[in-house]
Amino acid sequence: MENINRFFRKYLLKSAAILILFFILNIVLIFCVLIWAWQSSSRPEIPLRQISESITLDENGTLTAADTLPDILDDKKAWAMMLDDSGQVFWQECMPDELPRKYAATDIAKFSRWYLQDYPVYVLEHPAGLLVIGCEPNSIVKYNFALDVTYLTTIALGIGIVIIVNVLLIVLLFWRNTRNVEKAVVPILNGIETISQGNPIDLPAKGELAEINIKLNNAGDYLIKKDNTRAEWIRGVSHDIRTPLSMILGYSSEMEDNPELPAATRKQAGIIREQSEKLRALVSDLNLTTKLEYSMQPIRIQAIDPLELLRQVISEFLNNGLPDGYELELSEADTNNITPIYGDVSLLNRMLQNLIQNSITHNPNGCQITASVRMNDGICSFCVIDTGCGISESYLALLNNDVNIPSSQEETAEGEHGLGLKIVQQIVKVHQGNIQFSNINPHGLKIEICLPQKR
Amino acid sequence: MNEIHDKSILVVDDEQDLRVMIKSIFERASYTQVITAASAQEALKILSKKMPEIIILDVMMPGMDGFELLQEIRAVSKVPVLMLTAKGEAEDRFSGFELGADDYLIKPFLPKELLLRVQAILKRAYPESNRIVFLDAVSVDLDKAEVHRDGEIIPLTAKEYSIFTKLAENAGHIVTIGALCQTACGEIWQGYETTLMTHIRHLREKIEKNPSTPVSLITVKRLGYKLIVKGVK
Repeated sequence: MENINRFFRKYLLKSAAILILFFILNIVLIFCVLIWAWQSSSRPEIPLRQISESITLDENGTLTAADTLPDILDDKKAWAMMLDDSGQVFWQECMPDELPRKYAATDIAKFSRWYLQDYPVYVLEHPAGLLVIGCEPNSIVKYNFALDVTYLTTIALGIGIVIIVNVLLIVLLFWRNTRNVEKAVVPILNGIETISQGNPIDLPAKGELAEINIKLNNAGDYLIKKDNTRAEWIRGVSHDIRTPLSMILGYSSEMEDNPELPAATRKQAGIIREQSEKLRALVSDLNLTTKLEYSMQPIRIQAIDPLELLRQVISEFLNNGLPDGYELELSEADTNNITPIYGDVSLLNRMLQNLIQNSITHNPNGCQITASVRMNDGICSFCVIDTGCGISESYLALLNNDVNIPSSQEETAEGEHGLGLKIVQQIVKVHQGNIQFSNINPHGLKIEICLPQKR
Repeated sequence: MNEIHDKSILVVDDEQDLRVMIKSIFERASYTQVITAASAQEALKILSKKMPEIIILDVMMPGMDGFELLQEIRAVSKVPVLMLTAKGEAEDRFSGFELGADDYLIKPFLPKELLLRVQAILKRAYPESNRIVFLDAVSVDLDKAEVHRDGEIIPLTAKEYSIFTKLAENAGHIVTIGALCQTACGEIWQGYETTLMTHIRHLREKIEKNPSTPVSLITVKRLGYKLIVKGVK
């Protein structure tokens, strides 16, 4: 759930960042367009001041134009004229012929604001008179604005408000949109998480994503059904196999012990009995691991003396007789501070049995097995060490990876491993503990299980 | 013929093959009175005529199941009952014990396992009189709680007696420190270990020729004790 919230927080922040980036990019683009337009302008601005200064009035009242003036005007495709107070043109340079040589005050007022017969013109005050500089038609756009100050202030304020409102609206819509997406998507993501934990889901079959919800519900139902079928099948088979197996075990055992039968027949009966016992152990393991996998195993929590539990397990092995080549002992570890732990006694018993049996099964040439228990800071540690052949580094890494330990049903490079360690791992998980595998020097395996004293 | 083999056994199971096999196992082990019933109803009919000395009862049966039959039996009798369960599930075992079963055995089982359980239940339910345990240096009369050493009679205290009985019942097997403490002082036994050692020392003084080098009551390092017997009468 935290991941999902983090995702949407990041999504919202990313949206805000995109918005800011969008504004910055637009401003940059506008500036780029302005620069581009300025650079692509074919006629640079007419040098009005230079033109005005190149026309001088001497002491005798004679108007003299600089020699460079015709070139400047020609370059800009411009012309110039000088009007006296009566509106009479008394000097001109490159002036088009079609233009009048005398202007009334109204004409001057008009062209100073707009155009002189389509010629955009600039009007400058000159010591000799009124200097008019004209450009070729359609080269310059002229607009004259006269706005009320209050009106302009209101417009500026209004534009500011519109921009702010727009920004707020965009942020609000973004946030709302994200919330809507979150509302629609979060149940789906939660549903997926629930399915991944193997639990049933019931998403509402409404809204825009109803189809996905329905499909997820179906997927959840399908997985549960599949799990149930598998569990039922295993339970059914393990149940139905028990009576025939009882018969096989019973009669083969009877035949094995019957002195009236030939030795060869008794030996064969013994083999049948041995294999049936293996089958019995497998059925029992399969049943237990399935129930632990699907949380179908009832857990009876009670106070247990861990040292006594270990004593009982070891004693049971010794009482039943260890095969030749094996030694099993309880370690001399400090047992003074051992206090009861809370757990399921039959499951913990099975866990310790499997650990010791694992050392026996995987070291056919015999080994020394030492089991110990100690208590430290509310953690009870069971440790089983053997002097056997140990396990490969790759399988060690796999076992310590905190994922499900492979059973014999799963193909691994290590081959057959049975369900023993898988069951151990499941029991440890039920008791909220952890398990650690390590090889010891010069050879052997150490398995340590830490269980919290109180669940 | 041993007295225990004369006890009457009723096997209740709906599987005919299994009934035949169980009967054969007991008969081969010299039990003489084995009767079978294919259903709870048939078992009730037999029980109304004569109560056997032990009942072996299958849990899963069509109609009235093993638990229901056990309830009916417990309403009228305290006869020992061994439940046979094919499920092997913890709740089955606990339900059986709660209803008053004496023990349970999970299918599939070895004949040896069945015989040992039945034997243990019968010994518990019908203790033999004049039980004498023969050790290396002494013999112990369990009925009188006395040790007989060279004509001398040494009484056992109540705690020594309960500890010795527990060891004798499991002769040749390790009995853990916890199990012995529990026998001597009940469910809450933690902290009793030192006292147990004192009782063991006293017991050795009574049953061993040389208590400092015991040959009958042996210590199994850090696990418990084991009683080595020469014979039981």
